[in-house]
Amino acid sequence: MTKAAGLVIALASAVGVESASAQVAAPIVVESTTIAAGRPIPRDHSPDGRNESPPLSWRGLPAGTRQLAVVCEDHGAGNPPPWVHWIVYNIPASATGLPQGIPFDAADPMPAGLEGVRQGNNGWGLAMYRGPAPPAGTVHEYEFTVIALDRELHLPAGLSRAELLEAVEDHVLGRGTLVATYTRVPADAGAALE
Amino acid sequence: MNEDVRISRRDLLKVAGAAGAAALTPSALSAATSGAATSATPVAVALPVVTSAPLLNLTAAETEILAAIVDRLIPSDELGPGALEAGALRFIDRALSEAESSSADAYRAGIAALDRYSRYSRGAAFVDLSSRDQDSVLIDVQSGAATGAGTGFEGSSAAFFNLVKDHTWQGTFGDPQYGGNAGFAGWDLIRYPGVRLRVTDEEQRMLEADELEPARRSAYDFGQFQAQSAPSSNGSGDAR
Repeated sequence: MTKAAGLVIALASAVGVESASAQVAAPIVVESTTIAAGRPIPRDHSPDGRNESPPLSWRGLPAGTRQLAVVCEDHGAGNPPPWVHWIVYNIPASATGLPQGIPFDAADPMPAGLEGVRQGNNGWGLAMYRGPAPPAGTVHEYEFTVIALDRELHLPAGLSRAELLEAVEDHVLGRGTLVATYTRVPADAGAALE
Repeated sequence: MNEDVRISRRDLLKVAGAAGAAALTPSALSAATSGAATSATPVAVALPVVTSAPLLNLTAAETEILAAIVDRLIPSDELGPGALEAGALRFIDRALSEAESSSADAYRAGIAALDRYSRYSRGAAFVDLSSRDQDSVLIDVQSGAATGAGTGFEGSSAAFFNLVKDHTWQGTFGDPQYGGNAGFAGWDLIRYPGVRLRVTDEEQRMLEADELEPARRSAYDFGQFQAQSAPSSNGSGDAR
């Protein structure tokens, strides 16, 4: 897979995951070795490919960060929007990112150092990453937002977006977002059942 | 908090366990509350035998793919045999010849579409994928995300998933008369106490204390029931 450096610095006011009581709008740099800001997401992070969660990294966490959460959502889908693709939380502040392919099966172990990490329910009601699948012929934008928290919350798996935002309310120190696009790849007509 | 609805044996069992007694043998349970006086003592019955005989309604390639799907929906694990061992595949084939014959085309089209999707997205035939990748494919088919990827799914891929899932459940947890639930594997899995026409106070107490020996006999082994809509018990899924 091509490694394209993705980089975006976003202020809290510019990202989709809002908090009514963000104390300090600290910028967090969110990057990926596979996703470039503003560019198409590689198909292996979508159901047109292996549908694995992308690698993410971050830096510039606000002072006092104790824990992190990550949300991926599409503000151009959902009724009402956004459509949530991924929710991850209980990420220790010592983590500098998430590796590619966070397990979709809760029975599979999390990577070393991320043992306490849990995933919330996405728009399909699945506590796992499921990548972009916009209607054919459309281009959608996907926001990977990293949220820095001032407290270790020990949240259970399976939270909805609303439940997560409620839980982290009053604890948000800052956020950063990586925004990329996706449009579905036409299938190879030659891949027929033998 | 929303429930995790991903494919997992645990989730299947959770739902099947809750619905199993009422949904799988409704006529038998209805009779159980009517005060009929037939003994519910467990008896030995002739169990369906899972064989490798070809299926009637699917080609060998289609059968291999469907078997892999069924095997992932309820896999064999430390809790006991899975759907394949319970004869769900034979149950589905038999149903496609009888009560579910109208679904035969949907099966053929869906199996072909799923395999095309597997090759397109994961680069290999479904049967050649690891269990983990097979699960990932099935999740995308379940969610409908496989729709629109040029796979040939007619409508949402979720419709095909639900069709196979429902039949796999029926073939695993239904009455063995219909060709599945071989050796009562499904009932053992969900600890279904079995078809009983009468439950004494003592049996109720034992049931609640988890001391009751499960009754393992088909509802159609009771004289009160006639399998008018079911095939002969001699054709319990293995002779076709």
